Order: sequence, then C-alpha cells, then structure tokens
Amino acid sequence: MSGAVMAEPASEAPQEETFEEARPGGRVQAVVAGALPVAIGAFAAWLAFGLRIGSLTDPGPGLWPLIVAGLLVACGVGITVVAATAKAHAPNGTEAFTRGTTAVLCAAGALAVYASLFEVVGFEAPTLLLLFAWLRFLGRESWPSSAVIAVVATAAAYALFILGLGVPLPHLIAL
Amino acid sequence: MDFSSVLSGFAVAFEPQNLLFCLIGVTVGMLIGVLPGLGPAATIAILLPITYSLEPTAAVIMLAGIFYGAQYGGTITSVLLRMPGEASTVVTALDGHALARRGEAGPALGVAAIASFIGGTASILLLTFIAPALAGVALAFGPAEYTVLALIGIFLVGTLGSGSLWKSAAAAALGLLIATVGLDPLLGTPRFTFGTDQLADGIDFTIVAMGLFGVGEILYNLEHRDRPQPRVPAFGRAIPGRMHWLRSRMAILRGSVTGFVLGILPGGGATMSSLVSYAVEKRVAKDPSRFGKGAIEGVAGPESANNAAATSSFIPLLTLGIPANATMAVLFGALMLQGITPGPGLMNDHPDVFWGVVNSMYVGNLLLLALSIPLIGVFVRMLKVRPGVLAPLTVVITMLGVYSIRNNAFDMLLVVGLGLLGYGMRKLGFEPGPFVLAFVLGSLLEASFRRSMRLFGGDVTEFVQRPVSGVLVAVLVLTVVVVPLLRGVRARQSAAAARVTAE
Amino acid sequence: MNPRPFTRRGVLAGIAATPVAALTACNGVQGGADAAAADFPTRAVDFWVPFDPGGSGDLVSRALAKAAEEPLGESLPVTNKPGANGAVGLKELLAGDADGYTISLAVKSLFAITPLAVEDPDAVVIEDFRIITTLTNEAYVLVVHADSAYRTLDDLLAASAVNYATTGVGTGSQLSAQLLFVGAGVDATDVPFDGGASAVTALLGQEVDAVSASLAETMPQIEAGELRAIAVFSEERSPFLNDVPTAMEAGYDVVVDQRRFVVAPAAVDDEVAGVLSLAFEDAKESPEYGQFLQDNYMDRWEVDNLEAKAHLSEAAEQYAALAEDAGLQLGDGS
Repeated sequence: MSGAVMAEPASEAPQEETFEEARPGGRVQAVVAGALPVAIGAFAAWLAFGLRIGSLTDPGPGLWPLIVAGLLVACGVGITVVAATAKAHAPNGTEAFTRGTTAVLCAAGALAVYASLFEVVGFEAPTLLLLFAWLRFLGRESWPSSAVIAVVATAAAYALFILGLGVPLPHLIAL
Repeated sequence: MDFSSVLSGFAVAFEPQNLLFCLIGVTVGMLIGVLPGLGPAATIAILLPITYSLEPTAAVIMLAGIFYGAQYGGTITSVLLRMPGEASTVVTALDGHALARRGEAGPALGVAAIASFIGGTASILLLTFIAPALAGVALAFGPAEYTVLALIGIFLVGTLGSGSLWKSAAAAALGLLIATVGLDPLLGTPRFTFGTDQLADGIDFTIVAMGLFGVGEILYNLEHRDRPQPRVPAFGRAIPGRMHWLRSRMAILRGSVTGFVLGILPGGGATMSSLVSYAVEKRVAKDPSRFGKGAIEGVAGPESANNAAATSSFIPLLTLGIPANATMAVLFGALMLQGITPGPGLMNDHPDVFWGVVNSMYVGNLLLLALSIPLIGVFVRMLKVRPGVLAPLTVVITMLGVYSIRNNAFDMLLVVGLGLLGYGMRKLGFEPGPFVLAFVLGSLLEASFRRSMRLFGGDVTEFVQRPVSGVLVAVLVLTVVVVPLLRGVRARQSAAAARVTAE
Repeated sequence: MNPRPFTRRGVLAGIAATPVAALTACNGVQGGADAAAADFPTRAVDFWVPFDPGGSGDLVSRALAKAAEEPLGESLPVTNKPGANGAVGLKELLAGDADGYTISLAVKSLFAITPLAVEDPDAVVIEDFRIITTLTNEAYVLVVHADSAYRTLDDLLAASAVNYATTGVGTGSQLSAQLLFVGAGVDATDVPFDGGASAVTALLGQEVDAVSASLAETMPQIEAGELRAIAVFSEERSPFLNDVPTAMEAGYDVVVDQRRFVVAPAAVDDEVAGVLSLAFEDAKESPEYGQFLQDNYMDRWEVDNLEAKAHLSEAAEQYAALAEDAGLQLGDGS
C-alpha cells in the first residue's frame, strides 16, 4: 500500500463533486453498458463451445452455459440498441466516471494486498495498516484519530472474532 | 397427536438452564447476523466443541437459537448498510435500505422485527400441529418440481428491477453465468474454473452477495465521498407508526404462510419464499411503483416469509432426518455427536428433545423481539458515524467474515473482484438484486432440469404429467404469460378510453 | 457493536504479549523452523478438515481431536477448509510448513476415485503425505424404498430399467453402483445429486429406484423402516447390518468403501510424526471415541503408515482397472 498513491485523491478540489445527484454518463458509456454484456457473453459462449454441448434431452456440460451466454448477448444487444437510438441527453441509467474512481481502484488494490498478506503474516498487522490507510487517505480523518481508531478497531476485532467467537483467523499474537 | 408430549416439551423449554441457553443462542445468533459474512453454519461449527459438555436438548436449543437469531440480525445490516448476509434477506435490502436513506430506518427495522416475530411464531404453531402431516411435502418435490419452481423464481426476479428491463435481464443472465462456475453437477467437467480447484465447488453465495452488495456499495460511495452526505433527518422510532402497520399487516400474514410452505422444501425454500412474498406484495399493491423506493410492505412480507421459512426448515430435519440447508447440516452433525439421530424416529424416541427444541423457539422468538426493539435504537445510530470511518470498519469485518466461510484467503480476493464488478455494474446502471438472486436459482434450475431429463429419459412432457410439477407449470404459465397479457390488454383499453374521453 | 469494555484490555494484553508471541508462539502463521522436534508440541496443533462442517468427515475429526487433547497435552482446534473433495485443503497443507503443527484429515476417495472422474494434472497424490494415523472404514450400502417392489438385490438386477441416485460425481456411491449395474448388465441410469442428504431425499420421494450411500447417510432411515438395505459393498457383512448380504455373496465382485485418515506433509520430522501418532493411538482407545464410531456406524480401520499407503495405491489401481474393464465413465471423460 503506497501512501503516495493513496494521498493523491486528497489533492482534488472538493467542490468538483458537490452536486447531490451523480452526473449521468453520456451515450458512449450507455453503449459500452450494452457492449460489455455482449463481450462477456461471447467469451463465455466461446469457452462453452470447448465443452460438450449435447442436446436438450441429453445435455452436456456446455449446453446451459451456452444458453445463458446467449441470453447475456441478447440482453446486451437490446441495451445497445436502446442506447444508440435514444435521444442525445436522455437519461440512460449510467453514471459518469469521475476522478473519484481512482480512489475506488486504490481501495480495491489495498483490499487485494490485504487478502494476500492475510495468511502470510496473520491478520493483525494488515488489518491495522488497511484501517489506518483507509481512514487517513480515503476517509480524510486526522492522523491521530486514524491511528487511534485503527488500533482500537483491530483490537476489538481480535477480541470479538478470536477471543469471543473463536473464529480460526490466522494470527500472530497468542493470548 | 400426543398433546402431553407437546406440553411436557414446554416444561423442558422453560427449565432455567434451557432458557439460559436459548438466550445465549439467540444473542450470539443476532450478533453474527449483524456481522456481514459470518454465517450461522460457520458459527455453529465453531461452537460445536462447547456443546459437548451440555445435555442434548440444551445444546440443540442453543444452536437452533443461533440459526434463527441470525435471521433477525441479518436484517439489520441489510436495511442499514445494504449488506444482505443471507440469500433470503437480499429482497429485504431493496426497500429496507431505501427506507433507511429516507430516514425511516427505525420503523423499517421495527416492522421487520415484528414481521419476523409473527412469521416465526406462526410457523412454529403450524409446525406443532401439522409437522408430521407436512413432512411428505418435502418428498413430493423431486427434480422436476424444483426445475419448475426455480424457473418461476427466475421470472419473479424480473419483477424486482426498477430500472431498464434489458438491464435487469442482463444482470440476471450474468448471475446465471457466474452460477455455472465450478464442476459440472452431473458430469464433473470443470467449467470456467480456469484450472484452479479453488473454484471447483463454485462460488459461495455469501461471497457473491458480499461482493456485489457490500463491497460494491462501499466502493461506490467512496467515489463520491466528497459529495455532502444528504442529512438523514431523523431515524424514527423503532415502534412503527399507524400507517406502517396498516400497510404491513396483510403482507405479514401472506408472508408467514408463503414462508412456512416454501420453507419445508430442502434447498432454496427460504430464498424462494422471500422472493415470492415480494412479488405478491408488488402485484397486490395499489401503486407498485413505490416498490424499490421504500415500500414498507416490501420489508414486512419477505421478512415474515424468511423467518417462517427458517422455522419450517426444521421440519425435514426433525421428521425425516434431511438437512434442508448448510446450517441444518451442521445441526444434524451436532445431534449425531450427542448420540441422537435426527429422523423419522426422533419424535417417538426423544420426544423431550423434539418438543423441547420446538417449543424453545416460541421463547427464542419472544426474546429476539424483546432484544430487537431496544437494540434497533442503538444500531440505527451507526448511520450517524461518519462514512469515512464506517466504511473501513465494515470492509474489515466483511473480509474477516468472508475468510471464515471456508477459512480461505482466495475467497477474500474473490469478494474484492466481485466488489469491483458490483461497482462497475452500478456505474453502468445494472442492479445487483437480479444478479444475486438469479445466481442462487441458476444452479438449482440447471441441476434439477438435467436430473429430470435423466429420470424421464429425455421426455420433456413428463413435466406436465406429474401432478405437482403440472400444477407448478400452470402457475408459471399463468403468472408469466396470461397475467401480463391481460394487463397489456387492459392498459390498452383504458388508454383508448382515456383518448375517447379526451376527445 | 459496542466493544469498548474489551478494547483497553485487548490492547494492553496485545502489547504485553507481542514480544513473547514473536519469539515463541506463532500459531500457524509462521512455522517455528528452529523449534526443536524434541519438545513438540509447544503450542496448539491445527487439525484441518477439508470438508464442510456437519458431514461424517467433520464429525469424526471433531471426536478424534477432542479425544487426542489429553494425550497430546495441547489443544487441537478443528478448522474446516472445504473444496474439491478435500483437494483445496490438502494443497494448502502441502504449501505450508511441514512442522507438524498443521495436520489434516484425508479420505480414500480423493486419491482412488476422484482421479477417475476429474482430470487434474496438479492433483494431490498420496506420496506427498505422511499418514499419521488411520481412522475409519465406512461401507457403502445399496438401499431401496421400503415400499419398493424390489425385495432383494436379485429383484433389482432383474429389472428392465433402473434409475439410481448417487451422492455426486466421482464418489464411492457412484463407483459402487456403476460397477454393480454394469457388471450385472442392467440398463441403469445414474442421477448424481448434491450430497448424501439430497440423494436419500430423492429415494424417500421415490424419484429413483435405488441409492448407494454410506451407512451414516442411510442408517437412520433404514432403522426407521423407510428404506431397505439390499446389499453392502464390503468384503464382509457390516456389523451394523448383519442380515444384509454383501454384493460379493451375490456374485458381483464390487468392493467400494470410504476410508479416513490423518496426514501431514511428507517432509514432517520423524519424531514429530511419532508424537502425533502416539497421541492419536491413545485417543482411539478412549471410550467416547469408541461410542462415537458406534453411534455413527463407522468401522475402525487401524493399520500402520506403510500398510495404509499400500492399500490406497492398490485401491487406486484396482478401481481404475475395474472401471476400465467395465467401460465406466464417471465423469464426462473429456
């Protein structure tokens, strides 16, 4: 977890996103919302063809995935057609991506690092770090309160999960 | 029926020791229900060693309390944080969370608690009087019936969406696709496992729900963390007002019956019951457009249904020795470890255990209601915690809960991936509800259909020839084809009439 | 959640324990590579169950772990690591340290039957493990509904067509029934269900004609008179079903059973393995464990490491040969 990366979104001008409602996405995004299901469905169908298809009365492993993938492609086409033929500024249910998306990706990255460290060094240190980084850089808490909340919450999680409920989490500190 | 054994069951349930273990059970259950990801099956497995030293009745009373207590607790996170921990509370999250955003978290949780209590209690009453007679219902459902039932469920999922129909259908199709991950149920061929046996058994429901709803929601809110949070005006009292109550009472009644009946079916009964209840409430409502935006009936119906189903899912276990879900499987194990075999002989061989456990559920539900009402006030205050603090805490608890499902770190990575998917879907206007419910019903549908084909030797007409599945097919055709057609006709007629009057 | 009363104590205790913990107890996270084998064990030994809680494997592990605490002198917390008939948990065991502080339950079907149904180039093989102790032998039994017209095995095998449920793909349930029906030349269709409970439910609802399942999965129904056992797939009759003939007695050479045992990675220190083995030998003598086996219809299988390994390799070869001869296809064959 790099502190520099985490701190980046903090430098944004906050007034940029002060509207109550999220900004709707444009037509391109609406078309993408249809193209993605088509792509996923097509990929899944391609994988399904690698399995035996069989017939409706004697289905092979590939039949059901193929049907579902076909359904997904059909829905994607439907979405694309609706989006492409809609009026330019008609609401299409999508939301534009903002600079805040960086924060989302950072958070997801941090969680992935957390998950991979978890079984290697026990849950205490990664939990403490994750909480602290999230509170400080994503939650914009002050340094002291981030530190205090992180420590207290980690200890509380330890007390609740390991001492209280006896959940077998990997941990370093044996009490 | 031998009423003296029912009454002596009350004597057993009211023994001070058993009352104490009932209280411990429901309290622990409520706690783990509130902790996202940590489910009753894992908790009961962890607590099994403690029960070795208890006598069987006390042990099972406590473990059963954990199970239905978790149903109450799960509602709280569904409503407040939009984090359904069980498949059966996914539906509650839709309108429950909308109510919470509107500042009606208190009444929503209050109605949920009361609905849960009524659903649970009604179900025990029915269980007491007709359990032995109903045991056979579970057996009348073979692969053919489950096929049609799952199909009905998938069409009902379509009624959940409040946005574009294409997008709801696409989300459901994606859920069905994710449900095929794992070894083929009939042939063992790996599908979409990408060579890892971490995915051989498919993806656990909790991981999908926690990813799409829980982590996805947190990531989504993170993007807009600088947007001033809409002030939640007031949380409202936990005691619902007159209007809430008037709107909910019929929903609760219908939900209780639906839940009791569907809960008897092993496999998917509780989920189906909440779904059916929601669909029914939306159909009978005067203004169906309120649903998805905070309709109290959308909380009351499904909540009474899933609690009634949780109770009636004990019927197959206690009368046939068939565990209806993962938690029942662990309870089955707990009974076996105590030297008691759940099954057809249980009611005669161990009437004290059977009726002691059943009657303890009256007490347990009462305790849960008494615990819930004051606790709602405490939990609702969670919404006052700054999102910047609440989000990381929730994420950590979710990750720890997800780990505990299989004690597997791979699952934590999966939940992060699914969280990103949930975020992306939200941005592109897809709803997680249809995805998650289709995921649950998808494996049931495919496996049951293929089992039916093997049993029928490939003859599809058998679906309408068998009595129970025939009736279900009729229900399916009625709800999916006939009713929408009639509605379409009527809408066109009234539109035409409106044009005439306008002219 | 109001954890305040806990936190202060938790923090203080945590701080106090940190240096000690870093030096000695690492509780499963880091292996004490330098820890002398002579004083093993100095901390709890993790007992993994690579199956879901509630099943036979889970129950026998819990009964054993409980009985072994006293002779071992340390606790044996049970952790479920389910997935792919045990492969997920056992692979994780192999990836960890071979210090003896993590051991796992394992089953015969994973090594002898699963490979027939699922092709996996990275499948775990028995040579990767050291068998610490062997536990149980559970026979498969062929049952029909009590109302069924088939009273005996011969009745069933004389039927023109049979539908039978199995507890899943690549299980002993599927293998035993297929070997029997193919051997007898019966036109039989197998319908794999999701585990023992749903297969037995299908039979109780008379959706299928027969099920082959373990004794633990069927005995409650047999005792209640709902199901009728018509054959057992063991070499000798089961002590729990003395009046039911074996398939061999009826002239079909089908012997399929499930055996459970405890393993550690092969690299585990001899002395450590010895300490664990001794503790489990003691545990298996305890009356509670014996009562558990009795209550759950499990036979003892108590042999040494070498004999156990020989049995498992032979069974794998034998099943593969039988399946080949009979032209069986457990899975899709792709």
